[in-house]
Amino acid sequence: MIHGVGGKVIWVDLTKREIEKMPIEKKIVEKYLLGAGYLSKVLFDSIPVGIDPLSPKNVLGFATGLLTASMFPQSSRHVVAALSPLTDVWGESHAAGFWGPELKLAGYDAIFFTGASRNPVYLNINDSTVELLSADDVWGRDVFETDDILRERHGKKARLIYIGQAGENLVRFAAVMNDRDRASARSGLGAVMGSKKLKAICVRGTGKIEVADPKKYMDTMDEFYRRMLANPFTPGRAKYGTTNLVEMMQHIGRLPSYNMRQGVFEGYEKISGETITEKYLVKPRSDWCCLQRCARYTTVKDGPYKYVGGSPEFETQSSLGSRCGNDNLESVLFGHHLANQYGMDTISLGGTISWAMEAWDEGLLTADDTDGIDLSWGNHESIVKLIKMIAFREGFGDVLAEGSARAAEKIGRGTEKFVMTVKKQEIAGQEPRAQKSMGLAAVTAARGADHLYAFPVLDEAGFDDEIRERFGEEYLPEMAERLNPKYKGIMVKECEDFMVVVESLGLCKYGTQIPPEFYYEDVALALKVHNGLEFTRADLQIIGERIVNLNRLFNAKRGVTRADDNLPDRLTKEGAPLGPSKGEVVELDQMLDEYYMKRGWDNETGIPYASTLKRLGLVEEASGMEIPDE
Amino acid sequence: MVDLKFVIGDPRVCTGCMICVNVCSMRYFKVISPERSRVRAVRIEPGLDFTLFCRNCEDAPCIDACPEEALSRTSKGVVIVNNKKCTGCGSCVEACPYDAIRINPDTEKAIKCIQCDECIKRCPVDAIWMTTMRELEERDPDGEIWALHEEHSEELYSKEDLQ
Repeated sequence: MIHGVGGKVIWVDLTKREIEKMPIEKKIVEKYLLGAGYLSKVLFDSIPVGIDPLSPKNVLGFATGLLTASMFPQSSRHVVAALSPLTDVWGESHAAGFWGPELKLAGYDAIFFTGASRNPVYLNINDSTVELLSADDVWGRDVFETDDILRERHGKKARLIYIGQAGENLVRFAAVMNDRDRASARSGLGAVMGSKKLKAICVRGTGKIEVADPKKYMDTMDEFYRRMLANPFTPGRAKYGTTNLVEMMQHIGRLPSYNMRQGVFEGYEKISGETITEKYLVKPRSDWCCLQRCARYTTVKDGPYKYVGGSPEFETQSSLGSRCGNDNLESVLFGHHLANQYGMDTISLGGTISWAMEAWDEGLLTADDTDGIDLSWGNHESIVKLIKMIAFREGFGDVLAEGSARAAEKIGRGTEKFVMTVKKQEIAGQEPRAQKSMGLAAVTAARGADHLYAFPVLDEAGFDDEIRERFGEEYLPEMAERLNPKYKGIMVKECEDFMVVVESLGLCKYGTQIPPEFYYEDVALALKVHNGLEFTRADLQIIGERIVNLNRLFNAKRGVTRADDNLPDRLTKEGAPLGPSKGEVVELDQMLDEYYMKRGWDNETGIPYASTLKRLGLVEEASGMEIPDE
Repeated sequence: MVDLKFVIGDPRVCTGCMICVNVCSMRYFKVISPERSRVRAVRIEPGLDFTLFCRNCEDAPCIDACPEEALSRTSKGVVIVNNKKCTGCGSCVEACPYDAIRINPDTEKAIKCIQCDECIKRCPVDAIWMTTMRELEERDPDGEIWALHEEHSEELYSKEDLQ
């Protein structure tokens, strides 16, 4: 038996309205752990090739990790995955909160949805009771209203996952929201829920998690807590969350501004973490067993942008702020609040609006296209107006709701040049000309442009000791140098392998990657005392590699090759125009060559070699594919 | 008479991580389970995170309510449950005005905070501490913490699960 888990998986056929409970498959756990790894395997096997992601044939999975609801620092997380309607390839997203732990306490580790309902429904889980109920009275409601109504009905202790209007209206970057202001934002999985007419999953769990080694448990966790609190990063994280990254990124020219024309923003101080903390912060917030408390609760007390609720992280300050040339902080805070209310990914939202703004600036979009809305850089009133129009697909909002790549394809006129995406997903808040590893990570991430799949931050803040420990002295100083492409393929590969393990355990990247306080040996110890599972560092590394390779096979089966692992020309061919990284480009080919070599993937197709598949036990999964020989 | 001690949390400082809740169920029952904890964590928007413990009332209605005389106050002023006498009837749960006693569904015995300090030691933001009425008055002279509890009393002490 595996300790520390619910032990059951729920399968819901929404077309037939059938619910089945199955035991978790131990063979999958042994090879892929739980969480992201478990979903990667089950969905690889169950989502057919060639389907429309918004058709009933897509399969939508939710999973908790092996350590979700443990007492490990920052162990609240769950994963959502399906074929993405934004990228048409692997779609995966994660969030913190309390929903994941509640699901565990109800006795379940994962839920899969197949088919589609004719009428709006939500899944209600109350310990052993699992039922589909009509969502007629909450369909059309925003996230906060849905939370209020369903918790009034099922008890204040219920924890919920839901979509807002953006998901219902199939906005291609709609988020899956939980616990009011937490978002599994990327990949447009909210639209998959919307396409299935699935409004919410309401969970109440009164059970218990029995750990493998109760004698050693608290001592082990106390030591993890001591280390987390003693880490020099923790006080800053507690004080600012991620908001002060604006100042730090401006300093190194990595703050995407004006649709990534440049990595510095003259108005950065007005949207900085210092300003948020001083003027708008109510308090820091935590999710389950989180000692870092990076979540913020904030308020704008007066004026058109009045609200109280969750605060933006750095990503939204960048996407709705600097990226749109917008230094009006209250509009950024409010825009973020609206995105939560309607349920949208703020990165793709800001990335899409900033694409339109640059096209406007270049004279390629005019008031005739935009329903008369002025899209000048920094016009915050227009930004806020567009957020609602996108969620409800009104007028020009309907065009933008498709994401910048599809919108540009529709508009044409050379606007394609300003699309800052990889695999049709908008690049996040890391101007890669100022940190080369981030450019590589954006193209290799399975879910399209993404900073978190690898989260390669070891070259960001002087983690030489960690580089020495994880890779060896011979990689210094080049690997630690932000602007040096050398060894970044090796670094990104290693970071991806570890990060997919972290996502399979339900842990946070804060604590495991920045700061890099906990590494394989630590999570292996946690798996031992919590789950009673024995894994070595080498075992876990292989599992990480296996998950990344399976994600790659999922995409390769859908036509992804090296040609798709590409950045917009702006970032690889045009030198950064100003700032500390002036003149820099991303040397993508050089880094990709190194990455593919290290991965054991063919340099032209990006498909794993037969020897790689054999080593990772993925031969069967690749059957029917053309596999390159070394 | 000794000053009665109890644990109090400041809902403006608490971030809602629930480590106190989980430490408690782990310490006493070797499981992670908010339903088996003697602490409750309740988040109320906007921006409040309550941690709720036995208030150690001077008149202790729970003691009077118990038909088995299983509840008593120790010489140090802590109200404890005698598991040998407790039948899990729930009279104390009903009598408690602060929803601070519950029946552990596994043992079928009443459980409540006995001011052991294990959670306080581990709170990462020092939002909870051991206090007495006198200490609290000094620390919070305007009574803001009680006022917040009072303002939200209906939701905090609703005994939702009993209804």
